[in-house]
Amino acid sequence: MEEQKIGSLRFKIDFSQPLYEQILDQVRSAIAKGEIELGAKMPSVRELALELRVNPNTVMRAYQELERDGLTEKRRGQGTYVTSSAERVQLFRTELASKYMDSFLEQMASLGISLSEIQGYLSKKYPNETGGTR
Amino acid sequence: MMVIQPIVQCVQLSKRYGKKYALNHLDLSIPAGKIVGVLGPNGCGKSTLFRAITGLIAPDEGELRVLGQPPGWQTNRHIGYLPDRARWYPRHTALQAFEWGASFLPGFDLEAAKTFAAYMDVDLEMSLAGMSKGQEARVMLILCMAPEVPLIILDEPFAGIDFISREAIISGMIDYLEDREVSILISTHDIQEVEGLFDYIVLMDQGKAIWSGESEELRGQYGSLHDVFRTFYKREWSR
Repeated sequence: MEEQKIGSLRFKIDFSQPLYEQILDQVRSAIAKGEIELGAKMPSVRELALELRVNPNTVMRAYQELERDGLTEKRRGQGTYVTSSAERVQLFRTELASKYMDSFLEQMASLGISLSEIQGYLSKKYPNETGGTR
Repeated sequence: MMVIQPIVQCVQLSKRYGKKYALNHLDLSIPAGKIVGVLGPNGCGKSTLFRAITGLIAPDEGELRVLGQPPGWQTNRHIGYLPDRARWYPRHTALQAFEWGASFLPGFDLEAAKTFAAYMDVDLEMSLAGMSKGQEARVMLILCMAPEVPLIILDEPFAGIDFISREAIISGMIDYLEDREVSILISTHDIQEVEGLFDYIVLMDQGKAIWSGESEELRGQYGSLHDVFRTFYKREWSR
C-alpha cells in the first residue's frame, strides 16, 4: 500500500477494505488537521479517480458526504473547495474527536478497563504532561 | 436517469457444448448503471454469457433478458461489444476505423472517438497492421465506447496487453465514466490495477454465478479480490 500525493492531499488506499470510507476518512482528516488549507480547491472527481485508480462514482459519493459535513462546498462551474470557515472545521474536528473518544471508551468498557486504569496508562505514556489543568 | 429493471437477467440459463455445460442453470441479475467485473478462471462461462447477451449464441434452456428484452438485433443496437480476440481490418488507419464506426454504428460519436484517441495516445494516421496488440486493443475499445449506448460489454480487454496500453485503457475508461450513465460489463482474469473500477462483482465458476453483489460489500467481507479468489476458488489465482 503506497502513499499517493494528489495536490496537498495524501492517500493510502487499501484495496482489501471498502474504498468509499477510506477516501472519505482520509480527506476528512486532511481538512481537520489543516493539511489542505481553508478555501483551497479540491482535486476534481475525475482527477482523484484517475490517480487512485477507482471508480469515479466512489469518489463522487465521498465528495457528496464531505459537502453534507459542511467541510467542502461546490461552486458552480468551478469545482469543489474546502470550506473557508475555520469554525466549521473546528466544530467538525471536535465532533470527530468526541466520536473517536466515545468509541475508545466503549472498547475499554467492553474489556472491563476502569477509568483509573486508563488514566494510569495515559500518565505512563505521557510522563511529561502535568495531567490536567485542575 | 431512473433505471430500476436489471440490465441483464438470467433465470436458469443453460448452454451445452456436447456434454459440457458452458452455462449451467445460471441465475443472475445485474443492476443497471454499474461497472461490473465478471470474474472467474478460464472456461467458467464468462465469454459464453457475453455471447448469449449479444445474441451470438442461443441458450438451450432458461430465460435471458437484456435491457428488459430478449437479446437480438433490437437490443444489440444499444450494446457496445468488444469480443475476446477482436481484430480490425489491418489496412485501415485508426481514423478510417472510426469513420467506419460513424457511418455504420448507431449513435457513434466521431468527435468523442477522436478525443478518446488523443487521451489514450492512439495515432489516428497509423494503420492497424503497424500497431502493437495493445495499440490495436485501444482502437477496438474506442470503437465500443464512442457510440452513446446504455450497455458496454468488454470481453477480456486486458488480455495479453502491455502495461502502458493497460494504463491508457483504464485512464480512458475512468475519464469516460465520469460523464455518462452507462453499464459496463468487463470480464477479466487480470484483476491488478482494475479492481478499484468495479462497483459490482459477479464471480463465475463452472457455468454458475457463485457470488454476485456490490464490490464494497465483497471487500468488507473477504478483503481484496486476490483474497476473494483464494476463498472462493480454493486455489492460488494464477495471473
